[in-house]
Amino acid sequence: MRHMIRNVFHSPKFVWGFGIFVFILIFCIVYPLFNPGNPLEMLQVGGFAAPGTYVNVYDTVAADINKEETLKIKFRLPGADEKRLESVLSADDRNTMLKFLAKVGVDTSEVDVEDLDQLLELWEKYFDPTSQPKGITRADWNKYKRINNAINRISSTDRRSVSEKDQDGQMAAVGDFSSIDYVSVDEVANHITLPLGTDNFGRDMLKELVSATLTSVEMGFIAGTVATIIGLLFGLLAGYVGGVLDDIITFITNLFTVIPGFVLLILISFSIGQEQRGVTTVALVIGLTGWTWTARSVRSQVISLRNRDHVNLSKLSGHSLFRIILSDILPYIMSYVVMAFILQVSSGILSEAQLSLLGLGPKSTETPTLGLMMNWSMLYKAHTSGYWWAYFPIILTIAGVSFSLNLMNTGLDQVFNPALRD
Amino acid sequence: MKKLVALLIALAMLLACVGALAETVTEIPRNETLYFAGQQWGTVASWNPIGVNQNNSMAIAGNEGGYRTLVWETLYMYNPLDGGLYPLLADGEYAWNEDMTELTVKIKEAAKWNDGTPVTADDVKATWDVGLYLGNSTGNGYKDFVAGIEVIDAKTLKIVSVKNAEGAPANPLKLLDFISGTPIVQGAWIESVKAAFGDDVAAIQTYTGMEDGAFVVPHSGPYTRYYDDDQKVILVRDDNYWGQDASMWGKLPVPKYIGHAMYADNPAGDAALKAGEVDVSQQFISNVQDLWLKDELPISTYYEEAPYGLCLTMPTGWYNLNLPVLQIPAVRKAIAIAVDYDAIIASAMTNQSPSFADVPRSLMNPTPGEQALYDHEAVKDLQWAGLDIEGAKAMLDEAGIVDADGDGWREYNGEKISLNAVCPQGWTDWEASMEIVAAAGEKIGIEITTLFPTADQYYTVFTSPVQTEYAIFMWSPAAASPSQPWGRVYGLMSSSFKGIENNWSGNFGQYENAEVDEILAKIPTMSDENEIKAAYTRLVEIYLTEVPSFSLMYRPSVFCTYNETVWTNFPSDDGRNIPPLDCTDGYGIAALYDLELVGE
Repeated sequence: MRHMIRNVFHSPKFVWGFGIFVFILIFCIVYPLFNPGNPLEMLQVGGFAAPGTYVNVYDTVAADINKEETLKIKFRLPGADEKRLESVLSADDRNTMLKFLAKVGVDTSEVDVEDLDQLLELWEKYFDPTSQPKGITRADWNKYKRINNAINRISSTDRRSVSEKDQDGQMAAVGDFSSIDYVSVDEVANHITLPLGTDNFGRDMLKELVSATLTSVEMGFIAGTVATIIGLLFGLLAGYVGGVLDDIITFITNLFTVIPGFVLLILISFSIGQEQRGVTTVALVIGLTGWTWTARSVRSQVISLRNRDHVNLSKLSGHSLFRIILSDILPYIMSYVVMAFILQVSSGILSEAQLSLLGLGPKSTETPTLGLMMNWSMLYKAHTSGYWWAYFPIILTIAGVSFSLNLMNTGLDQVFNPALRD
Repeated sequence: MKKLVALLIALAMLLACVGALAETVTEIPRNETLYFAGQQWGTVASWNPIGVNQNNSMAIAGNEGGYRTLVWETLYMYNPLDGGLYPLLADGEYAWNEDMTELTVKIKEAAKWNDGTPVTADDVKATWDVGLYLGNSTGNGYKDFVAGIEVIDAKTLKIVSVKNAEGAPANPLKLLDFISGTPIVQGAWIESVKAAFGDDVAAIQTYTGMEDGAFVVPHSGPYTRYYDDDQKVILVRDDNYWGQDASMWGKLPVPKYIGHAMYADNPAGDAALKAGEVDVSQQFISNVQDLWLKDELPISTYYEEAPYGLCLTMPTGWYNLNLPVLQIPAVRKAIAIAVDYDAIIASAMTNQSPSFADVPRSLMNPTPGEQALYDHEAVKDLQWAGLDIEGAKAMLDEAGIVDADGDGWREYNGEKISLNAVCPQGWTDWEASMEIVAAAGEKIGIEITTLFPTADQYYTVFTSPVQTEYAIFMWSPAAASPSQPWGRVYGLMSSSFKGIENNWSGNFGQYENAEVDEILAKIPTMSDENEIKAAYTRLVEIYLTEVPSFSLMYRPSVFCTYNETVWTNFPSDDGRNIPPLDCTDGYGIAALYDLELVGE
């Protein structure tokens, strides 16, 4: 046994697969320790916030004005002014301004987009937000108005002040800051880092993904176990006992093989109704429809073992059917069963994803699964709207998990299958 | 040699097909056609305005907000912006008699059918009579309100209201719906159809209005059928349209053709809009602002800022009062005040709805006309903006609904309260709303799970008066028409729908309140503005106290997004008073007369 395990861990493919799988699992177990809380909590009002760190604006201002000693540190960063201008009025916007000027009949050949003063001067002269010139579409006009608003926001002063309404409703300045003041993020009371942004409900994607991966792996294991046990049992009985029992079991197996498994899965999931569809139920259903090929191949393996000498010897010694199966047959096909189990787990995870994508997965309010996350992101058109963080990491995770399991399977195959052994 | 011949024949056939295809596609020039999306799903069934199930939304569509008057016209056009009725076939204002039992309408001298004969009072009468006879949408929709139509002279008619036992009109508001929602059909044609089919009602109902591939039904509108198949519907302008008379529009509508391709689903329609193949889209587009802010496309909506469209209705969560625990008003109100409506509006509507802080909840849609109908100060303390978890908990504690066994969930009669929140599967924005309602339940100790059955399953259950399967379920009340908000309030609270099988009309939760019924019966005949306001204020007060249902968001009844690649000067919040009803419905059709080509 130890020798076998050592052999297995000498297979680079298995080690890679095992490594990836364990890494994903450990990450999923450890991450919630650092970031605890309900993975389904809707943090954002709305959804699809891009990955990044979000700093509370209110607290950033408060961090400066609420404290006795000043926390402000002054930096003179190169290019800060340019960046500030670019964030309000981008180069594209300036080109759009030029386009407008050309449309209202200004000779723009002399105008330099880089020369902001000149551009603004012309803009001020020709742009009147209250009257839309003929020949300009509303979409364009809206855009010009947005640029005009942005221009009005460009501040010429280096200092800005913060005002609060006092009891009489009068605005009173409570603090001010200049364009070179900085506050450390640590001093800001509230900030949140979302490595993978948020989903359509405004939930933390990474937290949800981690929780969903565990659930999906768990479902895969339940489904894989159920499918393997059923397949193994049927395969062993059919192969070893033979005769009428074999005919019956083969008949049932064939019956299930010709009905496409996934169609069966859809029909069963649909008929048990959404109220009953918990994580375990769906996993059981997946397991109950996926056992056929395990049964068939176990059967054929057992048939080849059935007439071996040691089996006959056991028979002559009067050992019971179960003892023979357990001690004389099962050990010989164990390696094969382990490999089949790994594939069943992998296909269980994929089946869950497929089912949930069709809206036939587990109930969606209780626990996140990879398939459910895909389902919501698809319903919210994340893929056509460019919210890559809402679906790509999920695909990557599903691919990572099933790839690692398949890699482990191939590795095992190379170790156990004499024909492939090098 | 044989092979070569076969190949050549095959090639020739292919070329012929491609040629035929190219011909129909290139037949209508892009810059003379206004293309739509999100209206017509599937092949047109018929062009028969008095039939049933026509599935012909470009020509025959009674949308909330206004009737589509491209082919057949109504007497008046409704404008939800100001609540006004603008004359179309009618001439000038309608007139009520003293006790509001008779409505007199004149017809324009210029109004003509496309065959040149004048539109007369007899045509209106024939339209009504045949509607009643056939049981089509005109007949069924108004038979409880319209007793009959009297022809006074060729251009004058009188609509007589059904009277109740006291001799008062059944509902004068419904007569206003009738004159703005009923397409008028030519009497002579109706007679000819009746003569052709005799007593066979079903045959008249399913008659297609087509003879040998030609459209034969007379109509008065500016457009007529040009082409339709399973791929597209095209209407063409009738250049002899009577409306170019100075007494109506004074000109023809600008686009020569109206086109609508059949898109497989919303994403396909959205893609066509983005590509500039569609000019006006009636589809909900999430984060519509991204189309111009991020994608920089020449796309715009009625309002430049959120909510972008004209919200006329409010999708509502209904409580099933067949369930004992939901018969307790405190439970209903507690759940309703705990819900995070801002999250619903941000998530389900991507902020294309005003918030309940901007437009406080009542029975009214957010249009100024309806908002002015109740006293905001009087009900201020009853309105809630949501996410009031502590308030909800206190309310439940006070009502004695507490968690006695300490499992985190409250009990009623010793049993854990477990409810579901239900809407049809695949109705994404509704599903999201129900998820958010469920999340609110968890925060106040009431278990709410979501359930998304298929649409037909859902329809069967929620329209049943005795169902106990769904606890909280979604449906929208009426949007906008001359009889609103009365019709909406009636649908939300009237006990007349209680116990009705196959109830699609309202009060799905089986609420009953005698005072509400009494006020609702009086409002239609009230004429004093203060009296009407007092009545509505009282109804809002009851609604917000008893909470038989709760609005989840505000929502347009039709969506309207324009792509200005080809056409421009679409209606916007620009003072023209043209509602964003897709340039086709009610007074929204006025937009067609103002369109301009881009770059001209």
